[in-house]
Amino acid sequence: MATLGMLWFLILFPLVVAVVLLAVRNNQARNVIVVASAIVIGLASLFLVAANLGVDYWKPIPMASPLVVDIICMVLGVAIAAVILYFGIKYKNTLACVLAAVQVVGSLVFELMFAHNVEVTECLYLDSLSLLMAFIIGIVGSGICVYALGYMEDFQAHQPEGAKDRRPVFFALMFVFLSAMFVIIFSNNMMWMFTGWEVTTVCSFLLIGYTRTEESLNNAFRQIVMNLIGGIAFLVALYVMAIEMGTLSLLEFLQLGIMYPEMVALPACALALAGITKAAQMPFHTWLLGAMVAPTPTSALLHSSTMVKAGVFLLIKLAPIFYLSQIPSVMVILVGGITFVLCSFMAISQSNAKRVLAYSTIANLGLIVACAGVGTPEAVWAACFLILFHAIAKSLLFLCVGTAEHHIGSRDIEDMDQLFQRMPKLARFMMLGIMVMFIAPFGMLIAKWATLVSFVEMRQVALIVMLAFGSAATFFFWGKWLGKLSAIAAEPDNVELSVHKSEWGSLLLMVVLAILSCACLPLISQAVVDPYIQSVYGTRAADIQFTNQLLAALLAIVVIIVLFAGVGKQNKSKQAQVYLAGYSANNEQRVFKNSLSGTTEATMRNWYLEGIFGETRIRPVGEWVCGIIIAAAIIISAFGTSVIF
Amino acid sequence: MTILAVLIGTLIFAVLAPILGCLLAGLDRKISARMQGRVGPPLLQPYYDVRKLIEKDDVAVNGTERVYIICALVFTLIAGGIFVSGGNLLMCIFVLTLGALFFILAAYCTSSPYAQVGASRETLQVMSYEPMVLFMAVAFFMAVQAILGMGSFDVRAVLYLDVPVITNIWLVFLGFLFVLTIKLRKSPFDLSYSHHAHQEIVKGVTTEMSGKTLAMVEVMHWCENVLFMLWVALFFVWGNPASIILALVVVAVVYFFEIWIDNNFARVKWQTMLTSAWVVALVAGGINIAFLAYL
Repeated sequence: MATLGMLWFLILFPLVVAVVLLAVRNNQARNVIVVASAIVIGLASLFLVAANLGVDYWKPIPMASPLVVDIICMVLGVAIAAVILYFGIKYKNTLACVLAAVQVVGSLVFELMFAHNVEVTECLYLDSLSLLMAFIIGIVGSGICVYALGYMEDFQAHQPEGAKDRRPVFFALMFVFLSAMFVIIFSNNMMWMFTGWEVTTVCSFLLIGYTRTEESLNNAFRQIVMNLIGGIAFLVALYVMAIEMGTLSLLEFLQLGIMYPEMVALPACALALAGITKAAQMPFHTWLLGAMVAPTPTSALLHSSTMVKAGVFLLIKLAPIFYLSQIPSVMVILVGGITFVLCSFMAISQSNAKRVLAYSTIANLGLIVACAGVGTPEAVWAACFLILFHAIAKSLLFLCVGTAEHHIGSRDIEDMDQLFQRMPKLARFMMLGIMVMFIAPFGMLIAKWATLVSFVEMRQVALIVMLAFGSAATFFFWGKWLGKLSAIAAEPDNVELSVHKSEWGSLLLMVVLAILSCACLPLISQAVVDPYIQSVYGTRAADIQFTNQLLAALLAIVVIIVLFAGVGKQNKSKQAQVYLAGYSANNEQRVFKNSLSGTTEATMRNWYLEGIFGETRIRPVGEWVCGIIIAAAIIISAFGTSVIF
Repeated sequence: MTILAVLIGTLIFAVLAPILGCLLAGLDRKISARMQGRVGPPLLQPYYDVRKLIEKDDVAVNGTERVYIICALVFTLIAGGIFVSGGNLLMCIFVLTLGALFFILAAYCTSSPYAQVGASRETLQVMSYEPMVLFMAVAFFMAVQAILGMGSFDVRAVLYLDVPVITNIWLVFLGFLFVLTIKLRKSPFDLSYSHHAHQEIVKGVTTEMSGKTLAMVEVMHWCENVLFMLWVALFFVWGNPASIILALVVVAVVYFFEIWIDNNFARVKWQTMLTSAWVVALVAGGINIAFLAYL
């Protein structure tokens, strides 16, 4: 009972906060409310995790769906469609209107005609994967909400004179988002999960379109169109489940799927498509790139702890089915693998920091999706860690870029020269975030390592090749960014003194989480990830020996100490001048006398290898190949099931 | 206990690798000189050079560079220690890559135009050879699996083999030889930092390094070379102690071959390096791994 109360609290409390925030227009009051409720949500999720730590079974919570919740789901479905239709008509986007209409009609018919025949006795549940997600949403998600306080104040100040202050709506949406995510991760009743799914879609639509500029509206509509396609696929899966399998319970669906893998091919494909759209895999990746126009906290929220993580969460849940059912498995593996390698390539050609982060997010999600598609205990182990480290490192990086943008006036990596001195603390945080993302012995690479091992064991040659080339590209684009940050020259002014306290607070939280998660990797494996594997597969995954995990954790601590205590200190050695090949005019500023007796500043630009890794070359390939794979898989699975029945 | 083994391995490697690497470098210069029709320096010239560097005054653009180089050296030694103690080959590769990253950062942090050109190129070189190196580890695992029935990334697994892994993964070995030229910083792939004065933009990555810092870079380079030669030997060692002699012979031949390439080819453009290394990795690694997986 206590657990049930906790779950309801996590779902409902953010909603209450959202309603309150909608009404509050006073900055001071809003700050207090947001900080206090973020702390409450963080503590509540921590408490939930602590109380259920090591739960190695699926913990159902007996509770039939109360009628009132069913009605709320229906009302929400209609309300979501109404919101989309309102904006679709207002800004003349026919496609969005059509899709929204299809979806609302489809879901109403479903709920009124089919859903009532299907009783789900355990609407909520809990297992270790839900706990991991709850931790990410509750801590990282609410940390981002706190960060948004300071950021949005600066953001509002940068807006043109007389711009409407929509911050109450903004913060309310952030909290609704958290609530919807909790619904998704705790719902055994697929109807509920679907409602949460659609709420996240529409929330991100509103958040992306926050500034109401033409660009942001275009991108918001792209997001809604793509995710409505995913939503309709989800609905198709619900129809098949209710009509052919007579269940709407996630657990029963998984159990049936394991017993009759052929039978669930179509719903599994449809759900996988829903997950793929939400996780922004090719050919749907453009919505996440477009989402960058939103204020940075939105990007951080979408990329790290919510939205895209809902997609991969669903896919990981389905992993046992993918392990047995070939068609959806091949589709998910190929789409994930291709997305990983191609988006890693495209990240090389980007100079906009947020765009690099976006491509890296899509690529890493691709890897998680591929792991889910492989579906072995080892692959799922790797996927869980990829989710955790990605959430922490990516939110840290987004928050860093957001703060840097407001203080150096640019989000271009080329303008981050010598950030190491201009914003000493921030640059170190950013470097830590980058290192966690791509280099051993930090978490992300340990997870990639496990991924590689699981691919090798399953003899997934295509995936091994994609992983090898994608990882090499990853080294290049992170390495050159890291180099930009680390440069030290003349002593420029420290510009980070005016960063808001709330921003520092959230940044520090992410840094502490990043350090702890890397240092405690073996513990997290024992306490959270292994129990989940146990609950699903009945075995433990042992791809990376405990001693190697320990060694990695030790080395990670060494690097962190060097980064924060070793570098940047003045030393006693004699100061030398930088070599400028001849006659330097001002060595501190890297200015030399040129051949016309004038002065030229020596500057370095990064390499973008546009000719090889340019978007225009790679993007169409990925979109077509992945699009054809998805279409083929769905057609084959639909055709196959109709033959069987 | 692995941690302790790695620690002991690192100590052993830290003592032996610089000595062997120094001799190897001296031999390299001697043979190169003979190929060019010169007499060449004494065998211990690399040691004299480093000793002289250590005696020089501490002069640096900033203090951070030295810290990064120390990290690069230490992680190279740890990578060697992991290998020597029979540890995980992938871990060895990853830690070595971490060392490479610190080397790159050391060059970037100086804000020197020439060092940064070198650093960019070094990053590109890492990207070029990384896929093939990963394929090498994967192929090693699969070859052990094919021979022993149970796969392993552990280096010590070779001691239980009846035949060396080269029998299964000779194609990967050829691909590895190709990227080895990049890793050894030999011409035609010495884009970031060359030993040939005639094809260098100032001094690439090490432009701003001097004195003890540069000495550490040299020592790191020796240790790296020894580790790469150990990787080569890994292909040829099996349960029979005599195989070590065979491995030594192969290592000698491979190194001679690399010196020959170094002296006979001019530096290529980065496009050629990247595309050729990736094509070789895709063909050699991909085909061999597919064969092992499906046949």
